[in-house]
Amino acid sequence: MIYSLELTVQQRPEVLERVLRVTRHRGFTITQMQMRMNDDASLSLDMEVDSDRAIELLSNQLNKLIDVTLCKVLLPMSLQQTASA
Amino acid sequence: MEPGQMIRGADAVIKVLAAHGVTTVFGYPGGAIMPIYDALYGSPVEHLLSRHEQGAAFAAVGYARASGKTGVCFATSGPGATNLITSLADALLDSVPLVAITGQVSTAVIGTDAFQEIDVLGMSLSCTKHSFMVTDVNDLIPTLYQAFEIAASGRPGPVLVDIPKDIQIAHLEYRTPLLAIINEPQAQMSDIDAARALLAEAKQPMLYVGGGVGMAGAVDQLREFIKVTGIPSVATLKGLGSITHGTSGYLGMLGMHGGKAANLAVQDCDLLIVVGARFDDRVTGRLASFADKAKVIHLDIDAAELGKLRMPEVAIAGDLRQILPALAMPMNITPWQAEVEHLSRKHQWDYQHPGSLIYAPALLRRLANKLPEDSVVCCDVGQHQMWVAQHMWFRRPEDHLSSAGLGTMGFGLPAAIGAQVARPDATVVTVSGDGSFMMNVQELTTIKRRKLPVKIVLVDNQKLGMVKQWQQLFFEERYSETDLSDNPDFVLLASAFDIPGRTIFSSDEVEEALTEMLAAKGPYLLHVAIDDAFNVWPLVPPGASNSDMMDEMEKQT
Repeated sequence: MIYSLELTVQQRPEVLERVLRVTRHRGFTITQMQMRMNDDASLSLDMEVDSDRAIELLSNQLNKLIDVTLCKVLLPMSLQQTASA
Repeated sequence: MEPGQMIRGADAVIKVLAAHGVTTVFGYPGGAIMPIYDALYGSPVEHLLSRHEQGAAFAAVGYARASGKTGVCFATSGPGATNLITSLADALLDSVPLVAITGQVSTAVIGTDAFQEIDVLGMSLSCTKHSFMVTDVNDLIPTLYQAFEIAASGRPGPVLVDIPKDIQIAHLEYRTPLLAIINEPQAQMSDIDAARALLAEAKQPMLYVGGGVGMAGAVDQLREFIKVTGIPSVATLKGLGSITHGTSGYLGMLGMHGGKAANLAVQDCDLLIVVGARFDDRVTGRLASFADKAKVIHLDIDAAELGKLRMPEVAIAGDLRQILPALAMPMNITPWQAEVEHLSRKHQWDYQHPGSLIYAPALLRRLANKLPEDSVVCCDVGQHQMWVAQHMWFRRPEDHLSSAGLGTMGFGLPAAIGAQVARPDATVVTVSGDGSFMMNVQELTTIKRRKLPVKIVLVDNQKLGMVKQWQQLFFEERYSETDLSDNPDFVLLASAFDIPGRTIFSSDEVEEALTEMLAAKGPYLLHVAIDDAFNVWPLVPPGASNSDMMDEMEKQT
């Protein structure tokens, strides 16, 4: 299942490594990623991830990272398409 | 100190520790942390020199677990920091509040493969709750304050602060930072109501108690909850000590080496109330068949544990000290209590063992009964660890220090050092095996140096016993690299560190030897030679359900 995540994280040199490490270790593959720096010392990260596991297994762990201020799960891509159809 | 007075970063580190009530730090000096050791010299913060950084960090873990305070350890860059990693991982898996401070090469040479440079921040990502590298001296004090806050808040854990040498010698004005307090999750009233509704309709409820109860300081609330509800209970390895020994309906440890009554009662229950525990595979056996008739109420401070392995009917993230009293209600479960009582009587431990050889479970039971009220029992990892969990009993969770999540051999001796420093008047006993003992044996010299009265019970079967047991049961008795019959003379080894001791071989020596050990004013090593044929029973084989426990009789058929 492909999921879409929107993260807001603090600008720290290692913050991307943290997010990538947790994502890999918890059994998710990143299929797409976009990052932009905001003016308020935060970063916005949009990710698409693929896994057979429930997305909460990832989002709950990302939420635990101290530098992650927001982790929003969008509907799975397939459901989004159904919703917009 | 005058306002506006400038001090070195290294001095600020020690001042922050003192401001957090830290009286003892465990560590090992080296090049990149020398300014901090210079600041330590003559300061009111005591330093306990280990003989390996892993030992220092385990001592800090033992200190934290025996006292409930945050443990602090120091190491230098490069190998000093890499040696910490195992202990940090141990603290992460067992949710131990720890602040590890490492020296780092100067910022100007970071990334040039300088002498004793390794990317400690990178290494820390998977084995800490959080970590920092300080690159601006003005961030030093706020970072250290934040480290203490993160280590102890929510679900506790280890936090590493890597401090380059130039930051340690740079000057700054000491100012106490304003710190944002980390918000803890709050239980919702609707969830409390839902949990109470499940409790009200349960006929066969069981409490599954984990280490989170002790970490939350909720032992009293748990005991009151049990008193009011009368719900029978089991505990995990880290949960041992939370429930008073002898409490009606308490069946001891569940899981792979849990008691039969504990596992069977959980398999039979219709409501499982999980308190500060996380469905670890060593607890559940085959997850799909674990308590498969039960609805689940899961209570934990860490929301990520709720639904991670088993979807609960009601999940409540929050402070157990508030949730447990809110759920307590008298219950009418007399038939179930009687059934649990019957199971408990049917599956009591049998300490009668034929022959003159020392039966380790009986020795440990006897030791538990002899220990004074203020005692800490540490252990290493393997068969002796499971015997300690099965056959000893503890007054509080902070009286039993066992490397549960990571299962780290070499934990026991340094953890006992930390526990003895935290609780100088307590009787601290570390039970070890001949395999584990050698993994941090260098810490005997720390005991010698500080004249710490740690008592060591070394259960010796001249084997890596737990691995041997699995080879015997599941690998066709192919005993690959588990023979330790060329062990050193342990009593002679201890005597090299001025630690007296003796070896016992026969069960009729046990009582007198334990008395002698506990009466010793200083440290003591009791070397207990046991038969290598003894195994840990019962056992849930890998991949099996907890209702399918093997015991010794089945193995022989």
